[in-house]
Amino acid sequence: MKRVFAATGLVAAAALVLSGCAGGAQPTTGEAAGGGKSIVVDASFDLKTADPGRQYETTGSIVAKALYETLLTFNGEDVTKPVDGLASYEMNEDNTVLTLTMKPGAKFSDGSDVTVDDAVFSLTRVQGILGNPSFLLEGVTVEKTGDDTLTLTSETPNPALPFILPNPALSVLNQEVVEANGGSADESDGAEAFLNGESAGSGPYMLESFDAAAQVVFKANPEYAGDKPAYDRVVLRNVEGPTQKLNVEKGESQVALDLNPDQVAELASADVKVVSNPSRYMIFLLLNQNPEISEITSNPDFLQAVKLGLDYDKIVSLAGEGSVRPGGPIPSLFVGAIDAKQGNQRDVDAAQAALAKSGYAGEKVTLNFPNDITVQGLSLQNVAEAVQAQLSEVGIEVALAPAPVATELDAYRNGTETIGLWYWGPDFPDASNYTVFSPGELVGLRSGWAADANAKVTELSNAAKAATGDDRAPAYEAWQDELNASGPFVPLLQPAQNVVTSPSIESITTNPVWTVDLALIK
Amino acid sequence: MPSSSNNSTVAIRTAERPTRRGIPPFVRYVAVRLGLTVLLMFGVTIVTFVLTNLVPADPVQAALGEQAAANPEIVAKFRAENGLDQPLIVQYFTYLGNVLQGNLGVSTQTRMPVADELAAAFPATIELALSAIVFSALIGIGLGLWAALKRRTFVDQVIRVVSLIGLSWPTFWLALVVYYVFFFVLGIFPGSGRLDPTAIAPPHVTGLYTIDSVLAGQWSTFWDALYHLVLPASVLALYTIGLLTRFARSAVLEVLDMDYVKAATAKGLPRRTVVFGYVLRGAMVPIITVLGLAFGSLLSGTVLVEKVYSWHGLGEYSFSAATKLDLPAIMGVGLVVGIVYIGLNFLVDVLYGVIDPRVRVA
Repeated sequence: MKRVFAATGLVAAAALVLSGCAGGAQPTTGEAAGGGKSIVVDASFDLKTADPGRQYETTGSIVAKALYETLLTFNGEDVTKPVDGLASYEMNEDNTVLTLTMKPGAKFSDGSDVTVDDAVFSLTRVQGILGNPSFLLEGVTVEKTGDDTLTLTSETPNPALPFILPNPALSVLNQEVVEANGGSADESDGAEAFLNGESAGSGPYMLESFDAAAQVVFKANPEYAGDKPAYDRVVLRNVEGPTQKLNVEKGESQVALDLNPDQVAELASADVKVVSNPSRYMIFLLLNQNPEISEITSNPDFLQAVKLGLDYDKIVSLAGEGSVRPGGPIPSLFVGAIDAKQGNQRDVDAAQAALAKSGYAGEKVTLNFPNDITVQGLSLQNVAEAVQAQLSEVGIEVALAPAPVATELDAYRNGTETIGLWYWGPDFPDASNYTVFSPGELVGLRSGWAADANAKVTELSNAAKAATGDDRAPAYEAWQDELNASGPFVPLLQPAQNVVTSPSIESITTNPVWTVDLALIK
Repeated sequence: MPSSSNNSTVAIRTAERPTRRGIPPFVRYVAVRLGLTVLLMFGVTIVTFVLTNLVPADPVQAALGEQAAANPEIVAKFRAENGLDQPLIVQYFTYLGNVLQGNLGVSTQTRMPVADELAAAFPATIELALSAIVFSALIGIGLGLWAALKRRTFVDQVIRVVSLIGLSWPTFWLALVVYYVFFFVLGIFPGSGRLDPTAIAPPHVTGLYTIDSVLAGQWSTFWDALYHLVLPASVLALYTIGLLTRFARSAVLEVLDMDYVKAATAKGLPRRTVVFGYVLRGAMVPIITVLGLAFGSLLSGTVLVEKVYSWHGLGEYSFSAATKLDLPAIMGVGLVVGIVYIGLNFLVDVLYGVIDPRVRVA
């Protein structure tokens, strides 16, 4: 027995020695290896590349926003009004020509000036390489029109262009450096590998190291023309949600970006700060209107019964503090959004009456959803179960059919789901992004809603697309009212975007387009 | 039963004697197993390719964003770039041809060569699995031996119960609990990752931070890397410790009953010599089998531990590849894990021949 104690003591001593040695080896938290202040930000990565023109994922946008600048941008969290970035802008009356005038003073990290040629090259490169974000400038011609001006000419009126340009995918790159490293503005472009090792931008940070699976390290760009960021070095690490929570509580990291509502609730007594805002994501149900897919869901009375049978407030409460219910598909953050009171409301009696009228005889209706992804940490499984229980109360039998997203995407995009539970992340913060929910359009077709399926919605959708200036918001509101009344979609909620920080962080600025601006963390 | 030591002497003599064809049995033994290994590896390429392509989903949908997937031009470009527009049989032979040249294709998610990505992820897992297997072997075999020597005593009972518990923990849960207790509550071990977030990785030689830091003379990095290894390697080792303890116990018990061990004891040899020179050596063949298989399963079973500890090795890479339907990456991981398993089996077979000469002439 003595030997057992001796062995245990030896192991404990070894652990202490090890921890002592390693502890001494660790740089002090908050101090960068090369001096200056540093922070660690934990995020759940969906990162593919540090090439801004090829990225179109949440983490990719965080990275691109830190390394590069765009021609236009948004001020802090407000996405209702584009503001000057590297350029100022002016839109012509019919919303077809956007003229951008470069502002002086911006420099790339190698010290060279940011020019109009760099801007033209960067935008045409995004178009030419045919990557995920190429659609942002589809039908737009980019031209240099002066020493410091360029124009974006759209084939059709495009009032959303100023809202599209702040997207980090449309960042301005150093043309000379990128071209010297295999870059071009067509499909032969080969600069991605270079841009994964070295940044070529004018943003607040430069790339120190990039590992798409593990972590991205940023160091301050001495040439940055804007306000100097508070931290000289930022480590953005790929960490799972449960681990993120422990890390930020313990002070191992200073910011955690992906905690789900339950994890945030558990932090009530912890010494951390929680910022909960409605996210840009809108979770919705679709009921297939193609009778060949489902006679039941394509029945207008059944559709009505579902809309009246759901308890929207309860579903929102599932998603925790900061979550809200949008009145229609357009999230509450954007111009054109309608109040939740204008959306469908629960009325069990009316729902049961509509159900009886539909001829529904208690058949099981399948609800498909991806069960291996979360939206801002919220599991769609929880939402699906709530929908099932609530519809059961009005007499609708729902069978849940969860599947991995990689396999369920096929059914969703091919329009073969009976009832689908999905979410829409906007490509840019403008109401026009949501006309894809109209008949014959991208998401409309996924619900079996052909182009000629609902003339009124189509008409209102076209009117909204054509509206300009102050007429835009009421036009989009009218379109959503009609969509709520007769469309196959049931907008459910916008889950909260939770950001948790350690007490040492004074402020953090979230944004629906790039999630968080690392340079604005103070 | 004749004395095993005598038997070994005879067998060794037989083994070293060339056959009629002039090929020593041990060489023939190794050559046959090497041939089988090559055949198995070829089989692995077929199995990984077929299974991956049987998944009822379109990799294009999984790889492209909403708008890009709706653009026929981009979809066609993606299919052509990734060879997905070719018949399956053509795809397989292209894949096989590429594999033979060391080209595992390009990830549909990251557009980086899969071989490069695996080369980056593999060392992290190897470092973790090697630490776990060394830890498991030392403790598991030691406990098994101790339990067998103390057969039917209190110590034996305790060790058996503990090993059963080791086998029963759900790894993901255990990983979180260990992280919570030793990092969060007690603070004796560091948080996630392979190094402190503010530390800089040592120059890449093997990809194993502990070794690379020693090679570079960066002792503080070495201690940091070692310190980060302790928790995930211990969690990963626990199951294997349980397995090895139980297996070593029964293997040692079997050998303890053999005449040559009794004879050695009767001759008055010191207890230590009998235990380590006769008993343990005799029990090593079955233990090595389990050890080889356990190492293989550690490599492919690190997913959950890597997730909790943000280890970013092969486990996490395979998880990400599977959920995103990244076919080249999935096939790459399948191939690597298959090759490691087969390679380990080959090594185990050869070790059998070294430890137990009877095997060579069987």
